This record gives sequence, structure tokens and C-alpha cells, in this order.
Amino acid sequence: MILRGLLFAWIAAALAAGFLWAPIVPGLGPTTRVLYFHIPAAWITVVALAWSMLHSVLYLRRRRMDHDDHAAAAAELGLLFGIVATVSGSMWAKAVWHSYWNWDPRETSIFFLLLIYGAYLALRSSIENDERRARLSAAYSAVAFVTVPFLVFVVPRLYFSLHPDTVINARGKVDMDPRIQLAFLAMLVGFTGLFFWVLSLKVRLSRLERRRAERAAAW
Amino acid sequence: MPTSASSFAAAVWAILRKECRTEWRTRYGLNASLLFAITTLTSVSFAAGRLGDRADLLGALLWIVLLFASLASLHHGFVREVEGHTLTLLRLVASPAAIAVGKLLFNLAFLLVLELVTVPLFLVLMGAPPPAWGPFLAVLALGSLALASTSTLVGAIIAQTRGRAALFAGVSLPLLLPVVAAAVSGTRGQWQQGSIGSELKLLAGFTAAVLGASILLYDHLWND
Repeated sequence: MILRGLLFAWIAAALAAGFLWAPIVPGLGPTTRVLYFHIPAAWITVVALAWSMLHSVLYLRRRRMDHDDHAAAAAELGLLFGIVATVSGSMWAKAVWHSYWNWDPRETSIFFLLLIYGAYLALRSSIENDERRARLSAAYSAVAFVTVPFLVFVVPRLYFSLHPDTVINARGKVDMDPRIQLAFLAMLVGFTGLFFWVLSLKVRLSRLERRRAERAAAW
Repeated sequence: MPTSASSFAAAVWAILRKECRTEWRTRYGLNASLLFAITTLTSVSFAAGRLGDRADLLGALLWIVLLFASLASLHHGFVREVEGHTLTLLRLVASPAAIAVGKLLFNLAFLLVLELVTVPLFLVLMGAPPPAWGPFLAVLALGSLALASTSTLVGAIIAQTRGRAALFAGVSLPLLLPVVAAAVSGTRGQWQQGSIGSELKLLAGFTAAVLGASILLYDHLWND
């Protein structure tokens, strides 16, 4: 309860700092501020995928339904944050590159992640038996985990990127106004907190639903 | 253990022969896929015309035809077992890995037959013979291997779901995107007579990774 209040206050403060206190980047103008939503959302998309795949592998090893709950909930949230990142990025691209979609490497890789999430959730929805659903979707997740690195190698070879490297650039240094950096990092922490909070809600919800179904079956 | 290795090979060989015999008995899978591939090829060729001088497009079109044809057909192996209620019996006589390798070899043979018809037809219709056959066939072979190993595993997963065939294409595609991207780039590279070493390495590495993951995962797919 206190943690939830703190999380809301934290995100509100970070937002206010980003909009009122931090300056804008000269080349980008007011579109600078997309970075407070866009990059944290993209970050959560990747974190959620890693979390989902980790729990899929754990499920295959230990066969505990808790892991399946985590994998499913992380995938659903990952899709949601992925859509936020894609839409905000696309709007930014229209403003700066004058095109909503151009198959830039970053656009390609986020699209690929969305496809994986979509396929994973479609697969889940087509299996009725709980244990079988958990097992097969975990297996799919594990294969996807193996193929993701290949796309990371293919895409930069094939396409040339215009995407600004605001956080970690080619020289591997953080190259940002310190005020923007502070507000941005605060949003990153806030989004991560938000993700894990909603994740815990979803996991508890599916645990309760399973318990209710078990009780109904026992009747 | 030489005995277990030879019994594994014997099981794989038996599965492969069984698959070929079942397929040959009705040939509905092969006929449907060949028709499908030729239909895709015709629509591509009809829509685009002769593209002999457009190396940038040829690779993409060739792999779209091959991808569609394999997405329409490579799930048959496991779906047929589930629909005929023969999977349980099959598992009594062979290990999951032997079944999977047998089915993979069958899918490879299937893809080979499909390509023997589609690829020459594509080259003729497009009026674009490859400048050298070695690199062209190398990309084709490694790409098919990656395609077959991924679709065999996904086929095993979706065979136990409700959507089955409808789900197969959607679920395979995200995994196959790196394969398609590398194969298209490699095919384009050989038409432009550039270097394609890194594409070949990528396809080989992808196949090895998926096969390795498959061997670990097949045991988990059917133990209910």
C-alpha cells in the first residue's frame, strides 16, 4: 500500500522533472520528451521478454505452475509496453523523420518482439488443458529465446539506422544533459517498478483463479 | 555405447521410411504443397513479370515462395499423428528424439522435392539463372535446413493445440524471420556476385542452435 503510493509519487515527480525542469535537446526540440516514455517502455518490453523466457525455462525444469503464471503475465505486460514503445516511437518518427514507419533497425527489432509476444499468446489461447498449455508455451518460449540473438546479428548488417543513440552511443559513454539524464533514469526506475507491481497483481490473480477452479472441481 | 547409437539410427530410419510410405500412400500433403507452391509462384511471376535484372527483388520473391510453401506443408508430420491417434503408439516404439529426427529428415526430403519443382520453375519464369551454382545452392540448402528444423519443432508444439494448421504459420513466422532475412540477403548477394560468407555462417549457426534446443525440448513436449 505504502509502496504503491510511493511508486505513483515517484513517477509523478519524474514526469514533472522531465517536463518542467529538464531542458530539451537542440536538434530534437520538444520531441525530446518522448524519451521519458518511449525508452522506458522499450526497456520494459525487453525485460518482460527475458522474464517470461526465464520463467518458461524454470517451468520446464521444475514444473511449478507459479512459473507459468509469471511467464504468461510478463508476456501480456510485455506486449502492452511494446505497443506503447512502438506507437510513441512511430509518432516521434513522424515528427522527426517525416515517416511513421521506415523499417529502421529499431523498428524492425521491436516489431519482431511484438510478433513473438503475439505468437506466444495466440499459442496459449489455443490450449485448454492448464498443464499442457504451460508445457507447450514454455517450450515455444525457449525456442524463441534461442532465435532472438540471431536477429540481433542480422538486423544491423542489413539496415542502416537513423535512430539517435541517446543513452549509450558508439563511444560507450553517457552523452546527455545531466538534468535530462536524471529525469530519464527516474522514469526508467518508475517504469520498472510499475511493471513488477502489475506483474505481481496478475500472478496473484491467476493463482486465486486456479485455486477457485480447483475448489469448484472438488465439489 | 555403440548398441544404443545404432538402435537410435535404426529407429530414425524406421520413422523416416514410415513417413515416406504414409505420404506416398495418399500423396495429399505433397500434392497440396506442390499446388500451393506453384500457385504462389504463378501469382508472384504474374504480378511482377520477368525480373532478370532486378537482383534486389529476386531473392525476396524466391524466399517468399519457399516460405509460404513450407508453412503450408511442414506441420503435416506431427498433426497427422495426433489426428490419427497414432502418436502414443509411436512413442511406445521410439524415443522422442528419434521421432523428431525422423520427422525432420522427412521434412527435409519433402522440402527437397518441393524445391526441385519450384526453384527451376522460378528461375525460368523470372529469366534469371544464378551467376554461379555453388553459392546459390549453398544458400538454398542451408536456408532449407534452417526452415525444416524450425518448422519440425513448431509442428510438434502446435500438433497438440486446437488451432493446429491455422496457428502454425503465425507461430513459426517470428522464429523464421532471421532465417528469411539471412537467406534473402544471401541469395541477393550471390546474384550480385558479392560475398555471402556471413549469411551462410548465420544460417548454419541458427540451424545448429535450433537443433540443439530441439533435442533438449522434445522430451518435454509429450510427457502427459
